[in-house]
Amino acid sequence: MVLARLLLWVYNVEPMPPRVALFIPCFVDQLGPQVGQDMVRVLRRIGCEVDFPQEQTCCGQPAFNTGYWADAAPLAEHFLKVFTSAEVIVCPSGSCTTMVRNFYPELLRGSPLRAEAAALGQRVFEFSEFLVRVANVKDVGACFPHRVTYHDSCHTLRELRLREEPRELLRHVRGLELVEMPCSDECCGFGGTFSTKYGMISAAMGDGKAENIETSQAEFVTATDSSCLMHIEGILRRRKARARTIHLASILAQEAS
Amino acid sequence: MTTPAAQEFLRRAAEKSADLTHRQIIRRGIEHYDAAFHRGQARFLNWEAARQQCHEIKWEGVNHLDRYLLEFEKRVKERGGHVFWAADAEEARNYVASLAARHGVRRVVKSKSMVTEEIHLSPALEKMGIEVFETDLGEFIVQLRNEPPYHIVTPAMHLTRVQIAALFREKLGDVAGDDPPELVATARRALRRAFFSAEMGITGANFLVADAGLIAITTNEGNARLCVSLPRIHVAVTGIEKVIPRLQDLAVLWPTLATSGTGQAITTYNTLVGGPRRPGEPDGPEEFHVVLLDNGRSELLADVEQRDVLYCIRCGACLNACPVFRNVGGHTYGTTYQGPIGSVLTPHLRGLAEFEHLSYASSLCGACTSVCPVKIELHHHLLHTRRNAVRAGTRPFGERLAFRAWRWAMLGAGRFELFGRVARALLRAAYALGLEGSVLDPMRPWTRNRAAPPIPRASFRELWRKANGRN
Amino acid sequence: MGATENPSRERILERIRAAVQSPAPRQPAAAPDGRAIFSPVGDALERFQSECAANLTECLVTSDNTASAATIEGVLASLPPGELFVQDAPELRRMARAWQAGRGMRWSSEGGPGEASQATLTLAEVLVAATGSILVSASCGGRGASVVAPCHIVLARLEQLVPDLETAMARVYERGTAFRNSFMGLITGSSRTADIEKLLVIGAHGPRRLVVVVQRADE
Repeated sequence: MVLARLLLWVYNVEPMPPRVALFIPCFVDQLGPQVGQDMVRVLRRIGCEVDFPQEQTCCGQPAFNTGYWADAAPLAEHFLKVFTSAEVIVCPSGSCTTMVRNFYPELLRGSPLRAEAAALGQRVFEFSEFLVRVANVKDVGACFPHRVTYHDSCHTLRELRLREEPRELLRHVRGLELVEMPCSDECCGFGGTFSTKYGMISAAMGDGKAENIETSQAEFVTATDSSCLMHIEGILRRRKARARTIHLASILAQEAS
Repeated sequence: MTTPAAQEFLRRAAEKSADLTHRQIIRRGIEHYDAAFHRGQARFLNWEAARQQCHEIKWEGVNHLDRYLLEFEKRVKERGGHVFWAADAEEARNYVASLAARHGVRRVVKSKSMVTEEIHLSPALEKMGIEVFETDLGEFIVQLRNEPPYHIVTPAMHLTRVQIAALFREKLGDVAGDDPPELVATARRALRRAFFSAEMGITGANFLVADAGLIAITTNEGNARLCVSLPRIHVAVTGIEKVIPRLQDLAVLWPTLATSGTGQAITTYNTLVGGPRRPGEPDGPEEFHVVLLDNGRSELLADVEQRDVLYCIRCGACLNACPVFRNVGGHTYGTTYQGPIGSVLTPHLRGLAEFEHLSYASSLCGACTSVCPVKIELHHHLLHTRRNAVRAGTRPFGERLAFRAWRWAMLGAGRFELFGRVARALLRAAYALGLEGSVLDPMRPWTRNRAAPPIPRASFRELWRKANGRN
Repeated sequence: MGATENPSRERILERIRAAVQSPAPRQPAAAPDGRAIFSPVGDALERFQSECAANLTECLVTSDNTASAATIEGVLASLPPGELFVQDAPELRRMARAWQAGRGMRWSSEGGPGEASQATLTLAEVLVAATGSILVSASCGGRGASVVAPCHIVLARLEQLVPDLETAMARVYERGTAFRNSFMGLITGSSRTADIEKLLVIGAHGPRRLVVVVQRADE
């Protein structure tokens, strides 16, 4: 399988995917490691060599989003240090990728590290973005014969401007029936600390998302961000809904048995 | 939650979030709007170019505010109008009140103006014994209910026709059925006498046109047209930021405002007035006054990062796009301006400490920014306001401490891993004992509203090391 | 207004001047593609007619003065009895002579329309094809003429029709219309509201019925 892909690249004169450094969000690392493992499986399947810089901790987004920029800045500096020699960094989260690419330059404004942060931002990619736009791969050899609907995570859609890329990948999964839910781009209600500070609003928004998922009659709802999915799953379980959540990476990791 | 305003907000938000009837009504209203907006947007050949041009017009006006306000003032005076610059709400109120007193005004007809809400003008006039009639139908309805407007464009969208019919029956005594045309006819009859007998008409202004010395007012009903035609005195109360450079600019501003506001190609009545009636004109006011209100706007102007908030043309699109708004509704905010624009603007007009909570009551989804016709960075400003609040030192002590501790834990991979392991072990133990969702659940802030995720035995890095060894 | 009557004026201006010393950044245009903002207007009259149909303006095209007079008489006949308020312009004075005097008339030289006015009849400054709009001014019978009565009839000539708003605003600016009048109004369709359950109702405070007669020839 891997050899076939390598040959395809050779004949199409496509650049080989470089060595990829994994940027594993803190909550994926601690609460949802499967997503990281699935991403690794897919990256290796398409011929990438993967590295996991183990000094990484957190990109700083929780502090940044709550307004604690002085507490987030040291984490940004730490991140830069950890990934300084990485050529390409791939992350299974649109919000964490957004933090590094879109917000590190603002967070580090006035710091001598600002230029380095801006440069690093050009080398960080959300997983589906990496596959489609960098590695130029839409078919990763996945098989997932289920009815699936896609939730547009806010950062992925509005900050990274990725709408078609995840859908393209899903369309190439064997057996997968992709259906659109109403208002797929409406916020699920997670929003970081918003989910606990204003839990009842967050839950009401989650209810709205759950209703839309039910309307689509999908068995699974997927997205680029585990944070959204953790919240949606929590809402679906309380509603005793039929649908379950699954990260995009986990779908792409499934092969025909 | 420290301030009384923040506590009130939380209480109302909780109430409204659980109110499924309210949610349904608002949802239906917004679905109507969404369909109309998409039809309206499709009429443009290049909607993005329209947004960009409106942005640039407002950029020009606001970033040269002194020049254009002075030009506007000069031309209004040339037309025989008066211009009064009010530093704050009290000055603005006093000006209008003393004008009314001087002219023996007993009755006022008003068209919709959020600025007059902001300065609480009506109560001040009513205290003087003046009858104030809101003539915009939505405002008329909430005035009868003694309620603030629910939404800056559709003030009564939270009410059903049945509720409105009952209200009219009770307060006006003159209503047959509850179907909308009948209700509208009832309101028209009730306000007719007011229009013809009022000595003073009070309006806002959507735009102040500098190169012509005219104010522009937009309505669908024609009520503002009557307010500026029949009474002897016309007073327009407006924020200083409403000035635009040229009459020409309206060619793109009017259609874009209408599309974003209601999905219409253009609003029915776009009125331009400047100065009192000229000799030879059949009708019109004998006196024309413009009150230019500051009330915190010049301070916002000085904040270069958030200056673009002053570009707002009050279309309401951000309210309609906001998933928080559609769940808690307009009355939850407790402020003149609701929704994303309200959350961004209010701390500047009324104080950061008291209103910072509004910027935290958001998931920062960015839908507002994507629909804003003048390209204000709304959701990024919510973030900026949070940062400003932290810098001002008004955040709860517990939160500050928590992030200080969190930062320390996150600055070393070893510490991070240790905390992770301990937290997971604790949660697995707690959930094994069946504590999930209970008051003893360590993740209670989360599980109060949704189920907890399954807690994994090993973290990604532990699994990686097992499979690949240490680097 | 002297400084003593408006003490805050200088203070506010000072704060504004200080603030705008540093300009704010502008948002970049999103991938400019060279397309104009609005779709081009083809045949102006056709476009005007289809826009009027959409916004519920009755648009009647006539060939000359005689035809216009007859058309307007027809519209008046369809209205309930009551006073007609007319802009005091020579062409309307001439036309009024041709009608049956079954209706009381009030001329704008006597003042504005009142509650007794069943309909108003005015000229216009400009017609706008792109939006199906009519631009009137205080010179077209005053302010109340286009809003007080339940029916507003406008008599315009085809040469007053311009393609779009941009042309219309430029015209009223350059010709001095904007300065000779204390009022101008752009009217697009009949009075309406959607304040009740977002359902459209025609006829709020302004005219329920708007009729525009577009006369091809000058005579």
